[in-house]
Amino acid sequence: MIPKGYEGPYLMYAPDGRLVQVEYAAEAAKYGSPVVAVRANGCAVMVARTKEPDPLLDPMEKIHMVDENIGIAGAGFTGDIQLLVDQARVDAQRHRIIFEDPIDVKTLVSQLGQFMYQFTRYGNIRPLGASLIVIGSDRIGRHIYQLDTRGLILSGKALAIGKNSDSAISVLREGYKPDLDLRGAIDLAVKALSEAEDGESPVEVGIATGYSFRKMPLTEAQRLGCR
Amino acid sequence: MTTIVAIRCTDGVVLASDRRASKGGMIGSKVVKKIYEIDSKKAVAIAGQLSDANYLVNLVKAEAKLIEFNRGFPLTVKEVSKLLSNMLYSGMRSYAPYITELLVAGIDETGPKVFEADISGAVTEEMFTSSGSGSPMAYGVLEASYRQDLTVEEGAEIAKRAVKSAMERDPGSGNGIQVYKITERGSEIEENGGVAQ
Repeated sequence: MIPKGYEGPYLMYAPDGRLVQVEYAAEAAKYGSPVVAVRANGCAVMVARTKEPDPLLDPMEKIHMVDENIGIAGAGFTGDIQLLVDQARVDAQRHRIIFEDPIDVKTLVSQLGQFMYQFTRYGNIRPLGASLIVIGSDRIGRHIYQLDTRGLILSGKALAIGKNSDSAISVLREGYKPDLDLRGAIDLAVKALSEAEDGESPVEVGIATGYSFRKMPLTEAQRLGCR
Repeated sequence: MTTIVAIRCTDGVVLASDRRASKGGMIGSKVVKKIYEIDSKKAVAIAGQLSDANYLVNLVKAEAKLIEFNRGFPLTVKEVSKLLSNMLYSGMRSYAPYITELLVAGIDETGPKVFEADISGAVTEEMFTSSGSGSPMAYGVLEASYRQDLTVEEGAEIAKRAVKSAMERDPGSGNGIQVYKITERGSEIEENGGVAQ
């Protein structure tokens, strides 16, 4: 039960210490279509189902390139995700201008986290209704990160966001092994994704290997080996 | 005034400098430090206006430490040179240039590296380089003696000879030599104050 006066557009603490608007925004991200990411031996992958194809429309992309080494997929409001992707791309290019080298994944993620967090600190603005999975390669390795409305940053071996992400996570928890190769990681991620959302629309895969990030349809990804 | 040199070797890098600071026609100091550590595997040798150089080095040192804390791994030698050159460039563009030239040398996962950043913000990667009023003499030694397969120990001898030659003929350089060696094992400073005063 939310006390009267705290459910409105103003971003301020409820007497029990909660930021109700931020919680609502986090709730919005839970309705987005799911994204699953798995980190494996020498690579990191993420999978997401694209929108049901409409014969009149060009297919929408779910996985977005940020730079040659980093990709992002989001769950939540499409506009908010696009804003974050745009911001990530600017951060990545700004880093290139300063250092003449691609940005590392952790720096990008913490800058994006700060960006999202700012929306939870002021009244009369709407916290972003989106969660993100960020995966990429840099010179210390391959990484997967998760970002939420609050600006909270998580990293780990396997992550899932969006609709039914809890059931995806239980599949990941069961199927994750430390010696997964690229093929095994893709299979596990797809299995977890199917648990969270069934559909006929094509699955997109983002793969971070070496110093690069690529995205491709699932059929193409399954032909690849882990390098 | 000053002579500084930096040499890329197979197992690390060497920086060397004289110890004189000039104040007009006078010797302002005979014990100036011209080589500064950025972290355990990187160092910068400075020439030109001491105040400007010190300011830039302190700023880059702080920036490098912050970045390392935030992202969890250290900067490359190139990244350190870029941080310096960005400040040098903006100084030049705002008509208040930092009157200094810096040699950045160190080891990162790409191996031993030497860069030079000048007053305009231009950065070049070098196998060996020298700066300061004594550099023409130092270059004579470096050009004659540099090889691709030098070890740090051999490089240090050449660097010392280069600075020594400069001190013999350049009135802006003198009062001893400081040599700074960086290898995977760590860094080591060698004082050689007595040479060619």
